[in-house]
Amino acid sequence: MLWPRLRRGLTPYLFLAPFFLTFIAFWLGPIIASLIYSFTDWRGFASPRFIGFANYSKLFADPRFWVALKNTLFYGVVYVTILNVSALALALCLDSLWLRFKNAVKVGFFLPVTISLVVAAVIFEMIFAKGVGLLNIVQKGLGLGEIDWLGDPRFSIWAIIILRVWRALGYYAVIYFAGLQGIPTDVKEAARLDGCSPWQVTRHVTLPLLKPVILFGVIMSTIWALELFDEPWVLTKGGPADSTLTIVIYLYQAGFQYVELGYAAAVSYVLTLMIVAIAIVQKLLSGREVA
Amino acid sequence: MSRESQAEQPAPSLAAYLGTLIVLLVLALAMTPVLWAVLSAFKSRADIFAGDVWPRRWSLENFEDLLAKTLYLRWMANSLVVALASTALGLLFCSLGGYAFAKFDFPGKTVMFWIVIASVSIPAFTTVIPLFGWLARLGLLDTYIVLILPFAANAFGIFLMRQYAVAIPNELLDAGRIDGAGEFRLYWSVVLPLLRPALGTVGVLIFIASWNSYIWPLVMMRTDEMLTLPVGVATLKSDQLPEYGMLMAASVLSSVPIIIAFLIMQRQFIAGLTQGAVK
Repeated sequence: MLWPRLRRGLTPYLFLAPFFLTFIAFWLGPIIASLIYSFTDWRGFASPRFIGFANYSKLFADPRFWVALKNTLFYGVVYVTILNVSALALALCLDSLWLRFKNAVKVGFFLPVTISLVVAAVIFEMIFAKGVGLLNIVQKGLGLGEIDWLGDPRFSIWAIIILRVWRALGYYAVIYFAGLQGIPTDVKEAARLDGCSPWQVTRHVTLPLLKPVILFGVIMSTIWALELFDEPWVLTKGGPADSTLTIVIYLYQAGFQYVELGYAAAVSYVLTLMIVAIAIVQKLLSGREVA
Repeated sequence: MSRESQAEQPAPSLAAYLGTLIVLLVLALAMTPVLWAVLSAFKSRADIFAGDVWPRRWSLENFEDLLAKTLYLRWMANSLVVALASTALGLLFCSLGGYAFAKFDFPGKTVMFWIVIASVSIPAFTTVIPLFGWLARLGLLDTYIVLILPFAANAFGIFLMRQYAVAIPNELLDAGRIDGAGEFRLYWSVVLPLLRPALGTVGVLIFIASWNSYIWPLVMMRTDEMLTLPVGVATLKSDQLPEYGMLMAASVLSSVPIIIAFLIMQRQFIAGLTQGAVK
């Protein structure tokens, strides 16, 4: 009688084992190890040596880290603002659409999301290219001067912002659109019968009801903005003149070009703390939403 | 009268016309880079440097160069193997685990579940640094395993599977047990078919994450033969004189499979990627 009961008790652990073993090996273990390594001097094949907070003080003393942080935050604020405002506006337009092919339009907007970040970056390489790029062809046609988008430190970060907004806009618009569809029509109807203009309905009824979805969009895009790597690495390698150096590029260079793994682990933990802080803010804000 | 037809009845107002116009305009802008890439892929090198929008002569030389002079097909094969294997393993691991979390009581369950959930907000590159050191020592860099397993252990996947598995009626499971089915048999022939919508969503999530990932294979793969598509395509642009035509051909070719998959399964794709946003 004991064996079947024991087997029954073991079942959930057996079912969880494949997931948990890979999860511990590839996520949980490394996350904890990374914190420990951030207090060591660890270069490639040599064994890590404990050095206390040295990596962190070196990090905060390095002007390039502050450049990377400044670039990442500037990019983050501009990108998150432009992206969410235009996605929300687009979703409102989509909602008012009288066309029958709403779904086809939605699919069209969603298409850029499926293209990989790197491939999108390669495509935009040829849009921003000097002389032969689409943007400069258009600028010439309009009689505007030529801009070396990727070679001029004043414009390079804007090139990255344009590319990222292009790729993410449809995704966020579809999220906001789905949120709008979830708002019961009779609430809006009632406001309209009470004599509200379409703008007043949007401002005082739709947007407040959409707040949780907007919060989600802003938090998610902020987190992804802090992890910016693929596009500036593919397009400009962080240049020119460190104008597109982000924290993850800084981390990548420290870890895999200079092979200072302990130092890179410290960089990753600074960024992890920033992202966890945002996640906690999200929890608090959405918690208050429920109460 | 249904809600649908009621909503569509009022004659389109000026605002609706304006909204439609804006939507179509933005749609055209969104499509432009894709069309530009396709046009450029079919241009000869001379046409590209002439700076025209339309190709003067449609040419396949970019595609021929790409297939003949680079390891493109190998990269495509690598990406397919890695993404399909990650998806298959991930679906198995997440559905088994999600079902266990949903329908069994066992010591440590709550703690284990919270650890998984908490890990979701930790950025992926935090794991890259220790793993790079360990895998290098074990001599595992440059293997498919390294690219497959991290995506198979998808924390969000296990969370979604649990959500769906909770809805399976206990009576159904108990009936199966009374009929003498073993626990794995019960999972395979009763639970798994009921989880089909979740399988689609989680499958899409894992496939896209694996297919598009860049920093992970960039760090872990050492030889040209082992690169995945994004990493391989990115290496093509490191030359002094940029081969724009070939780059565009590579971009177009590598987007075709995922766009076809998207068009066939767009409902699942959109559900998968927007999961969690709207409750």
